[in-house]
Amino acid sequence: MKLQTSSADLLAQVGAAARVASTRSAVQALSGVQVVAADGQAELRATDMEVGLRVPLPATVERDGSVVLPARLLLDVARVLPASDVSLELRPSEGDVEIVSGSARYHVRTLRGEDFPPFPEAGDGSVVRVPADAFVATVRKVERSASKDETRPILTGILVSASGSDLKMVATDSYRLSVKETKLESPLDGEFEANVPARALGELARLAEGADDAELTVARQENQVIFSVGGAVLASRLIDGQFPNYNQLLPDGYEHDLIVDSEEVRAVVRRMSLMAQKNAPLRLRFSEGELTVSAQTPDVGEASESLPVPFAGEAFEIGFNPEFLRDGLESVDSEQAKLRLISPLRPGLIEAADDSGFLYLIMPIRLNV
Amino acid sequence: MRLIVARCEVTYTGRLTAVLPEALRLLMLKADGSVMVHADTGGFKPQNWMTPPTVIEESDDHIVVRKFAGKTEDRLDIRIAEVISDVTHDMGEAAELEKDGVEKHLQEALADAPHWCGEGFRLVRREWPTDIGPVDLMCRDEDDGWIAVEIKRIGTIDAVEQLTRYLDRIRQDPAMNDVRGVLAAQVVKPQARVLAEARGIDWVEVDLAVVRGDREPDLTLFT
Repeated sequence: MKLQTSSADLLAQVGAAARVASTRSAVQALSGVQVVAADGQAELRATDMEVGLRVPLPATVERDGSVVLPARLLLDVARVLPASDVSLELRPSEGDVEIVSGSARYHVRTLRGEDFPPFPEAGDGSVVRVPADAFVATVRKVERSASKDETRPILTGILVSASGSDLKMVATDSYRLSVKETKLESPLDGEFEANVPARALGELARLAEGADDAELTVARQENQVIFSVGGAVLASRLIDGQFPNYNQLLPDGYEHDLIVDSEEVRAVVRRMSLMAQKNAPLRLRFSEGELTVSAQTPDVGEASESLPVPFAGEAFEIGFNPEFLRDGLESVDSEQAKLRLISPLRPGLIEAADDSGFLYLIMPIRLNV
Repeated sequence: MRLIVARCEVTYTGRLTAVLPEALRLLMLKADGSVMVHADTGGFKPQNWMTPPTVIEESDDHIVVRKFAGKTEDRLDIRIAEVISDVTHDMGEAAELEKDGVEKHLQEALADAPHWCGEGFRLVRREWPTDIGPVDLMCRDEDDGWIAVEIKRIGTIDAVEQLTRYLDRIRQDPAMNDVRGVLAAQVVKPQARVLAEARGIDWVEVDLAVVRGDREPDLTLFT
């Protein structure tokens, strides 16, 4: 294998692939990026066996072939190349790849290519085209609610359903639930539903944000899904099991419905959160016409700030995880948000007041005093 | 334990030479031969110290602490200019350091509330004997199945190995050949989780404060 490319392209594409390469697999090849040159084209591949990524590398291919190089090292090398062009050439007898850029010359040992798994193919299944902007925006709305706790794999995914003109995504870590329903401008040419690892969708969103394509394609298979955007192909295994029935989690009714200025509440919560450390809750005290947000951390300090809100009724105080509350408020991008509350121990709902189809259900924290 | 508050100068000779100029210091002489020289600053660490066994020689204005270190001698020469206080206390038998959250407390708490180890679990016996050592808890589940529960503060691969050995022994009894295993710990290490799952052993992380009822569990939208 021998190819010439630009240092900038190499850095951009290795950067994308290295994010997918495994950092903790027992199979060393999975910590690598496979460079494939064939039929005059080059591409990079990486996988951790859950998510796989294939990105094109604009290059002049002088000799076909493939090689696996350590992802982290290749990225570090790509970052510091001195010239605008770079060449990569496999030296089979030495078992390394010679990387030359300007007067800098590297010999990087290759990883076992035979251990690198083949990239999944889209197959003959149906392919659905989805507007990339809408898909990415929907992912960005809900991804923060997906769990990072690998002990409950179902919750590490985002439930994606697309049908007709509706695109819906749901994520929950059992402490909060995000639901975003996006109305598409035109109906889709197919439908699918899948629980996709949030990490895969995060990488897809990143790829789509950096591409000019108006659409991305989704090929849903039995236990995996393959997305294509901007020449990149991202494959992800699907998460087995029953996703929680989120409709059942939404309370039937609420005691208090408040329309608040999103940015004002967000800013107060952000300021007060600084004093809610070491798992301390953020306290929201509602009284006639006023909301007082406060936080206190022993040995650190306390803070409080009030703002006018259209609250009426018996005063009460409710506690929230400051990070979770901030996430919910930041995901509402309408000017006004709707806060819907029942009682200090029942979930609260944050909704976009412009009916843009975003819901954020958050469980409170018990307040001892 | 002898505590002397004195204005003194301390000279150490041995692997090197160090001098603490004359100042007010606390000299702590323990019954086991440890000697520590403390100032009112510098945190918990003494300015100088000698670990036992030591030989302590005392005159009116000098305390000399000696210790053989191989072929050389470590020596702490304390010249006392003024004694402010000199008291000796009989400390009696030393009580062992008691830590909350250790296995014993977890075992007691989980024995009282075995459902934290698994839904419907009920305790049959603590310290269930096997010929290679006792299992922490032996429980039965809702279907009367046997469950051996091994309790650790930190669940490691070693804990999984230990429980595996117990299960092998218990299963030799035909009446208990379907016994399941559960590793219960405050924290279960990722490697231990993988190994446990590969061996069909369940694991559960438990919060001692919640098990004891000192703290309510976190509110969640669903379980």
